[in-house]
Amino acid sequence: MPVEAIASAVGTTTMEITVSKFELLRELTATQGVVERKTTIPILSNYLFEAAGDKLSLTATDLDLSLRTSCAVKVKKEGSCTIPARKLHDYVKLLPDADITIKLLENHWVSIRCGRSNTKMVGMAKSNFPSLPTFPTAGVMKIPAQVLRSMIAKTGFAIASEESRYTLNGALMVLKPESITMVATDGHRLSHIERAGTKFDGVSGEMKTLVPKKAMDELKSLLDSTDAEEIEFAKDESTLYFRIGNRLLTSRQLTGQFPNFEAVLPKDNTKSIAVHGDELGQAISRVAQFADERSRAVKMRLEKGELKLSASSTEMGESEDTIEIDYQGELLAIGFNAQYLLDFLKATGGGEIKLEFKDSQSAGQMRPAEGEEYKYRYIVMPMRI
Amino acid sequence: MPFSDFYGNSDVVNRLREMLARNHFPQAVILTGSQGSGKYTLALMLAKAMNCLEPIMTGGLPDFCGKCSNCVRIAQSEDLDACTAEAVEARENMRETDKKETRLFVQTHPDVLVIPPDPPQMMIKVDQVRRVIETIYYRPGDARERVYIFTDSAFMKEAANSLLKVLEEPPEFATIFLLAENAGELLPTIRSRSMVVGLKALPAEEVEHYLARERADWSPKQRSLVSRLSEGAVGRARTFDLAAYTAARQHALTILTSALRAADHSELFKVTETYRAGAEGREKIERLLRTLYSLLQDLLFINSGTPQSVHNTDIESELRRLAEAASFEWITSAADGLAEVERGMRRNLLRSLSLDAFAVGEALGN
Repeated sequence: MPVEAIASAVGTTTMEITVSKFELLRELTATQGVVERKTTIPILSNYLFEAAGDKLSLTATDLDLSLRTSCAVKVKKEGSCTIPARKLHDYVKLLPDADITIKLLENHWVSIRCGRSNTKMVGMAKSNFPSLPTFPTAGVMKIPAQVLRSMIAKTGFAIASEESRYTLNGALMVLKPESITMVATDGHRLSHIERAGTKFDGVSGEMKTLVPKKAMDELKSLLDSTDAEEIEFAKDESTLYFRIGNRLLTSRQLTGQFPNFEAVLPKDNTKSIAVHGDELGQAISRVAQFADERSRAVKMRLEKGELKLSASSTEMGESEDTIEIDYQGELLAIGFNAQYLLDFLKATGGGEIKLEFKDSQSAGQMRPAEGEEYKYRYIVMPMRI
Repeated sequence: MPFSDFYGNSDVVNRLREMLARNHFPQAVILTGSQGSGKYTLALMLAKAMNCLEPIMTGGLPDFCGKCSNCVRIAQSEDLDACTAEAVEARENMRETDKKETRLFVQTHPDVLVIPPDPPQMMIKVDQVRRVIETIYYRPGDARERVYIFTDSAFMKEAANSLLKVLEEPPEFATIFLLAENAGELLPTIRSRSMVVGLKALPAEEVEHYLARERADWSPKQRSLVSRLSEGAVGRARTFDLAAYTAARQHALTILTSALRAADHSELFKVTETYRAGAEGREKIERLLRTLYSLLQDLLFINSGTPQSVHNTDIESELRRLAEAASFEWITSAADGLAEVERGMRRNLLRSLSLDAFAVGEALGN
């Protein structure tokens, strides 16, 4: 039975269930990220528990994001209640591996028994819990979990966290019948990944979706802890829905137009070199120790046969590293923020990468040398050096 | 509780409803009016009218049903004091580390966020505005319009600057209400980005009429006095605490007597001593200053031959005696002195000393 169906089946003022600690803790941990910790709206720090059939559905929401999950339980009395989320999680963690009995008492008190431990917590009226959007029945798309996981890992870090650039506070996901693309940028660098050659069920035409950063982070941890092969994705005017196994993540949609990123993708970056990602990463980390602390600027010099990386600051001194490369073009010097380069190198995880430049005033492009199934490119604006 | 329940200022209310009807409602509105004039009530009513699921028309203008799930949930925010107290209590129960980073919000509907001033400073803080910025660009879920209501105009400097950013380009589905007793308390840059709508003070007779309906339990004499003391604000009149007011007025009278007669100051010091530092004393001194102004105004009315305008009718004879000693120049200088005390309060000067300095200063000038 899907989680929403449990929700509609209950509505009484009693509830009594028995659940294994392991199962309950797993779901509690998965939903902790959505529970608002620093809120003065009391209901948001509560879980909604709804028991029906042989399932317990758990819901947490911070109003922008909500996560609904379920686990197998023995239901003695169907019903629902709300329980303070953080306390419950902290408490269940400390219980021995045994069955836990949760029972709703009067005045929203909830009793939690496990072996010889006995606890009572006070929840709130269920009616206070925000109503949640329901998963649409039409227009559901399926995306392989592995693809989405990898795409989020390779773009998520480039999302802007500046509050003033709200259209950049999310990643753009473009779904086409035969490809999926994800783009994120903060205005200084842009991460773009495309996966073609897979067929997506239920996608017709091009569909663009702005996925908020918070939802991206939550999706990432949900994808990391699932063994589901496919996730279901759907959206309506106000909400995005991701179903990952037995968990359903919903996020409100952000407004605004994602910038026209195609215009900034470099076209004639002809000066190209190939280096080993790990080697480059280590060299950058070393010289970056001596970069100006605010700008984190490192300089790259392409010379015949070698790539020189250098940085200097008035207080700390200067540092240089040289990497041997196969390059016969003209000399080029260009500056970049070291952190931006390292972010990309970390996301690609070593291996051969290609650096492509035009001149010292134009954006540089980095990408893994072997395209494999993904077309991954990373564009970084240069710094004046 | 449709718009017809909003007492007074019907021209202002209708103008706002006309803007709603024409879909021309400004994205940022500064609602001004004295304490208890109905700014918050009106803002919530407008939020309901924007989001009512079964909108109705009354008198050819948009209204709300008050029964649909949106109206009901928004209405749960109506008792602002209770909601704020609940939020403060929720914060008190948190872990120490979280407490510091937690800001007050009242939200009974997912798309309507009420931002009350954050204690103990009782000001709107930058983290509260940040929360607005973080959430305002999400599309409304259960409603059509996202509504944000700042219930106080006391912004921390950073918070005010931060607010400017959203005011510059709010999403088309959001409306921000800024409630202020005086629009001048807000940055000019905030004012220029918003529409200022003022709720005027009602004539005492209208307030009395309202009280006759709402506070039938009061004696007619009390109603008549309160309607004069409440400065034309029905909300203030309805919840008027006559005992607290009389106590503050007794203090105010002592201070004024000291200031006029330059006699023995021991009475004065006994009074001013009770105005302690700290956040708890803020309300007390604010009430006192308000009362002092109202007494000065009464003195002025008596001296200028318009005793029918006097607010504190119950102590008119005492006021007349004081008025004999108070010249026009003295009253203006005292008003200036009071303004100086108010400014000092914002800079956290010692309350008792400021009041002493005011009284003694005016006495010497006399």
